[in-house]
Amino acid sequence: MDKVRFSAEINGEQVDLLIPQNLRLIDLLRDYLHLTGTKEGCGEGECGACTVIIDGEPVNSCLIFALQARDKKILTIEGMGSLEQLHPLQTAFLDYGAVQCGFCTPGMLLAAKALLDKNPNPSREEIKTAISGNLCRCTGYSKIVDAIESLTGKEVNSK
Amino acid sequence: MKKAVGVSARRVEGLGKVTGMIKFPADYYEPGMLYGKTLRTKIASGRIISIDTSKAEALPGVRKVVTAKDVPGHNGHGVLFPDAPVLADSRIRSVNDAIALVAADTEEIAAEALELIKVEYEELPGVFDPREAMQEDAPKVWEKGNILYHLPIRKGDVEKGFAEADVIVENTYSTQMVDHAFLQPEAALCTIDERGHLVLRVATQYVHWDRVEVARALGLSVNQVRIICTAVGGAFGGREDMTVQIHCALLTWLTKKPVKMIYDRHESFHAHSKRHPMYMEYKTGAKKDGRLTAVEARIIGDSGAYASWAPNILRKAAVHATGPYQVPNVKVDSYAVFTNNPFTGAMRGFGAAQPPIAYEAQMDLLAEKLGLHPFTIRWRNAFEEGSVTATGQVLETSVGLKESLLAAAKAFGWDVEQLV
Ligand code: FES
Ligand code: FES
Repeated sequence: MDKVRFSAEINGEQVDLLIPQNLRLIDLLRDYLHLTGTKEGCGEGECGACTVIIDGEPVNSCLIFALQARDKKILTIEGMGSLEQLHPLQTAFLDYGAVQCGFCTPGMLLAAKALLDKNPNPSREEIKTAISGNLCRCTGYSKIVDAIESLTGKEVNSK
Repeated sequence: MKKAVGVSARRVEGLGKVTGMIKFPADYYEPGMLYGKTLRTKIASGRIISIDTSKAEALPGVRKVVTAKDVPGHNGHGVLFPDAPVLADSRIRSVNDAIALVAADTEEIAAEALELIKVEYEELPGVFDPREAMQEDAPKVWEKGNILYHLPIRKGDVEKGFAEADVIVENTYSTQMVDHAFLQPEAALCTIDERGHLVLRVATQYVHWDRVEVARALGLSVNQVRIICTAVGGAFGGREDMTVQIHCALLTWLTKKPVKMIYDRHESFHAHSKRHPMYMEYKTGAKKDGRLTAVEARIIGDSGAYASWAPNILRKAAVHATGPYQVPNVKVDSYAVFTNNPFTGAMRGFGAAQPPIAYEAQMDLLAEKLGLHPFTIRWRNAFEEGSVTATGQVLETSVGLKESLLAAAKAFGWDVEQLV
């Protein structure tokens, strides 16, 4: 298949690549850029493990072609915080025991970040709705919701 | 010294998990690696007449096509008995069965190659209900017979117990097959190290046994196989049996190249075990005051086509068949039975999760018939220190059931004085 030009800002860095037209965004991130924090749990929009933020919106990266994100701003878990400076949500997930196997965690964190960026003061119900597209098979969700709720009304937009 | 007791500790690997740095098997890449894929059966019971892999082998980018005849060691695996084929040779016993493997330069080529493999089947009648599979004239999943395991438990005299009962409740209960649906589908990356040994990265619950299984199937000694357990994306019992391990190792061993295999969710459902469906026939007798006089239970567990942990799981179901209650007369028969269903194995509770559906429902029905509160009938039969279980075990210490019952009743706001 013919390759086409792809460019976007991923985690604050400009990326320019030649890619096949039918490449899914998740495969671009994982197989081309080795940003493997983005996970594939189902490949059909059910689990949310592949969630990234595109221009402020949480998106299932398994459901769109990379080209649909061309020239946009993409944030993956690798751009959310660093080992030296975690995003407050990452700290909260650790402190509230919201992480078990960790496979849902990157997608869950990005879904939560997209919520708090838009609505710094969500209700518990709004939090549940915001992560309703993210499945977790380990935690039972309560601790995840607690972790997110602990940051409501706080200044968390560090990135 | 840093305080450890009484403080909430963060997970040691938590940092890697919140930053996305931790690696699950699919997150590894090797230069020059091939992608492996599995051809699975389309039928649940039958025979393979022929397999033609020539078109797949001729596809550019395909490096290896493997069928049963290429398995160098024992063509089987299993935690108790190695009865599940690595690759089906002739008999197909369930939709779990894998028929061929392909290693290719890309995932797309490997997928295309699978389409080019021609398999001719002869379908044979299958059996999909373990109660039917126990009949003499049922289709045989295995020549030796479909009943894999039977555990009888006898205590006292149930005939006498039922004769003493004021009420008897008799019912049949069943539970369904359940998939663990751990969030991370199976994947592995296998390489050969500088010593010529296989190194397999996989998310597993049973790393030392995986090593034995891989070595046995490849005809290697265990010291030639190294299993590295990566981060595990949930398991819940579903990663105790082989799925991707031997296949990935085999393709690596035969191509001498790194091979990566990743299942999608669909294949994950095909490949790993399920929770045992159980059919439970219960007869329970009690006196007017709620005290149990006898329990008779027949528990039949569907093992699917392979044993996995079935004997251990049906043993546990049998041992738990009377619940946490003192029963003077007990007759339990627990069976694990082969069918042509997907194989079943370990899952949270390991056989102890199904019987409560039956024995607790029986308690509620008895209470209703006797006009007792559901709490009261449980309280009057509950295990305490010194109780003897159905298998004759004397519970000497740590029997917290009555305290728990009290705490729960209080939490519900029930008047406990009235109920005991
Ligand atoms: S992998 Fe994209 S939603 Fe599950
Ligand atoms: S922590 Fe395992 S799926 Fe959420």
